[in-house]
Amino acid sequence: MPMKGRYPIRRTLEYLQKGDIVFKNTVKIMTVNYNTHGELSDGARKFVFFNIPQIQYKNPWVQVMMFKNLTPAPFLKFYLDDGDQVLVDAEGKDHKDISQHVKKILGKSEEVLQAEELARMVHSNPANFGPKKYCLRECMCEVEGQVPCPGLIPLPNEMRGKYKSQMKGTED
Amino acid sequence: MSVKSVSVHAKWIVGKVIGTKMQKTAKVRVTRLVLDQYLLKYYNKRKTYFAHDPLEQCTVGDVVLLKALAERRAKLVTHKLAEIVYKVGNVIDPLTGKQVAGSLFRETLTDSMENPAGSLTEKLQELNISAATSEILQKPSEV
Repeated sequence: MPMKGRYPIRRTLEYLQKGDIVFKNTVKIMTVNYNTHGELSDGARKFVFFNIPQIQYKNPWVQVMMFKNLTPAPFLKFYLDDGDQVLVDAEGKDHKDISQHVKKILGKSEEVLQAEELARMVHSNPANFGPKKYCLRECMCEVEGQVPCPGLIPLPNEMRGKYKSQMKGTED
Repeated sequence: MSVKSVSVHAKWIVGKVIGTKMQKTAKVRVTRLVLDQYLLKYYNKRKTYFAHDPLEQCTVGDVVLLKALAERRAKLVTHKLAEIVYKVGNVIDPLTGKQVAGSLFRETLTDSMENPAGSLTEKLQELNISAATSEILQKPSEV
């Protein structure tokens, strides 16, 4: 059974995670003005259709707003943290050109992204045991080949402290 | 007792004004895209904010940029009006700077007023000429 809608690939996690554009920390709001008809807005419409979900997935804290049929020419506007505004003209451009241009001016570069990923890997050590949120495993009983959890399967008598103390008591 | 240093997470916000009935305060609706976990599609989720507008310059329907206040001003008012991005009925295209309505440019009145005035005076001159010629024609006929 195929997925519903046109281009349902847009609605897959793999597609969303493949998004290129990770905005710099100063970008707070992104606004796209485009028209629903007309050839000039075609690139902007495709950009909204294909690339906006990827951008929003990678930048969950950036507010993205779309405005339709306000002005004759399509454009993008970014509002930065210092109060600066960046205006990007999208008239007649292809959606790939728009996304590459945006990535160039306001996206984090490859080196910065890799450095952040390294920092994240260093921070989380897979050898640690702890809550599921921070570590991979909580208890040694989860590892294959180790003693299973006594909550599920009772331990053999040699390992039970109660049995050992009973035997010591009966001996003496 | 405790004074909240930064009132909200969001420092800058863009929204649409939905109410101005409060004195010096605008009620602004902000939409953010939220991913539906099952459909994996983004939908608009609304939230209303109250913004301090000292000059009462907002009308219902404006698109407005708000800035977070350093300290919460009232129980509900957490932001202040930074600028009106698109004024309802008077949208100005940021690329050209001209007034715009939908996908057309609104021509300003000054340009259209000049031409009719010029054409009117020309028309008056034409009328005078035609009146003079008709009189000259009539006189010899009378006589």
